[in-house]
Amino acid sequence: MTTPTHMVELRDVYMQFEEKKVLDGFSLKVEPEERLVIMGQTGSGKSTILRLILGTLRPTSGSVFFKQFEITRLQRRKLQQVRRHIGMVYQYSSLLSSRTVRDNVALPLEELTDKSRDEIDKIVDEKLDLVGMKDSKDLLPEELSGGMKKRVALARALVLEPELILLDEPSAGLDPVIASVIDELIISLSEKSKVTSITVTHEMDSAFRIATRMGMLYQGKIIEEAEPEKFKQSKNPVVAQFLSGSTEGPILEGSLDAITKK
Amino acid sequence: MANANPPVLVAQGIGHLGRNFLREVGSMFWFIVNTFEETFERIQHGRVPFRAASFFRHTQRAGVDSVPLVGLVSFFLGLTMALLTGYQLQRFGTQRLIPGLVAIGFTRELGPLITGIMLAARIGAAFTAELGTMQVSEEVEAIEAMGIGPLRFLVAPRMLALFLLMPCLSTVSNIAAIGASSLICKAYFSIAFPYFLDLVKDSLLIRDIITGILKSFLFGLLIAAIACYRGLTVKGGAAGVGTSTTSSVVTAITTVIGFDTLYNVVYTTFYPT
Repeated sequence: MTTPTHMVELRDVYMQFEEKKVLDGFSLKVEPEERLVIMGQTGSGKSTILRLILGTLRPTSGSVFFKQFEITRLQRRKLQQVRRHIGMVYQYSSLLSSRTVRDNVALPLEELTDKSRDEIDKIVDEKLDLVGMKDSKDLLPEELSGGMKKRVALARALVLEPELILLDEPSAGLDPVIASVIDELIISLSEKSKVTSITVTHEMDSAFRIATRMGMLYQGKIIEEAEPEKFKQSKNPVVAQFLSGSTEGPILEGSLDAITKK
Repeated sequence: MANANPPVLVAQGIGHLGRNFLREVGSMFWFIVNTFEETFERIQHGRVPFRAASFFRHTQRAGVDSVPLVGLVSFFLGLTMALLTGYQLQRFGTQRLIPGLVAIGFTRELGPLITGIMLAARIGAAFTAELGTMQVSEEVEAIEAMGIGPLRFLVAPRMLALFLLMPCLSTVSNIAAIGASSLICKAYFSIAFPYFLDLVKDSLLIRDIITGILKSFLFGLLIAAIACYRGLTVKGGAAGVGTSTTSSVVTAITTVIGFDTLYNVVYTTFYPT
């Protein structure tokens, strides 16, 4: 088996939670500096893909690579070292609720580097400034709105200067202006800092704004993969229905009858 | 299955329970081993395993803040024990045995046991609820995703705090109980304080004190391990946190009493008095 040269590669991944098959022979390659957006219905396994890349979930079968490392075979210690090169922004931010914004962002630096307090403060200020949250650093997460939490989570994910950033629904539940701010940030990160990003979302506007390449996840597989312009014009009936938001089409077939009969 | 006869069903039920029990014991054992491994790996790399501030926060909460509760409960128990045994012993004119009885009873047995039960309820529940909430709100996963070992970061400082604080709290319990019994001895059985102290010193052996201290270390480790394990394995949202917290307290108290019995059996087998 050859070692891949891509930033991320998933090879023939199957993932099953008890009776439910989530990924069914899923394969994906992500090149450096790319901004890949994976779209799909709620519950289609989008977040599972990110967790597999991070190694917090292990696939039922198949291989997951981050650069030359096979995540699925790494020992705990090596896996922890590899994760330092990956930043993750969770759908619900997952900030540590008992620590202030400053302490949340500083956590990876305090735990994983030998930097002094002054150096840490400088980096934290810089990252919070980047996401426009410098004035809120003494607040607790419960005092922040959804959008603010997400921006802090983004600052925390960036604090170790990762090569890859994974974003789970970065603009879901945010107002259009804040959603655009976050999208702009993701774009500027890849353009200025050469950070590769994988975003999973079902927010159409955000997806088309960020993406340099898009993939459609349906029934455990990528059924369409293209640049945004080509993706928009896809002839695939699932993609066409997903983009138009129509109730007519292969998605929901069968289950829609059940809903309308009620 | 529906046609299976009742004895088979009972045997199946017992087998199922036994298997689950053994699985839990195994998971708990590996949980403790992995926590040690993660912590020592970090020390090997010349780094502190967790921040001193985090450790002292837990010692403050688990230890210092528990002193009033442990002291008060032990004080009342000491009063009751001296009073009830005193009246029985008085009938035979042997009330001078009260100080030794309370001193040995508490240092060897009741001090660590009562402290263990109280800490399982007070701190074990708090650890489980806290870690359980972090687990369901994906905070633990976020810590893991950053490349920080959650066992080292979250479990190790709690375990060490309870491990080191339990003997101290047991000592508080012993002193409170012996102090309380001295009051009863003075008030009801005319045993003056200096004489009381002499009687305690005559009856108490270093071996009793060491036994109590060793037990306390063990109980501290067990309570923290059970509470943290239950917290980090919570499933099912807010209701799951509630169920796990109850289960943590019940398991910790039962384990403390079980290990106490086991310890006594082993001890009396090898060192019969």
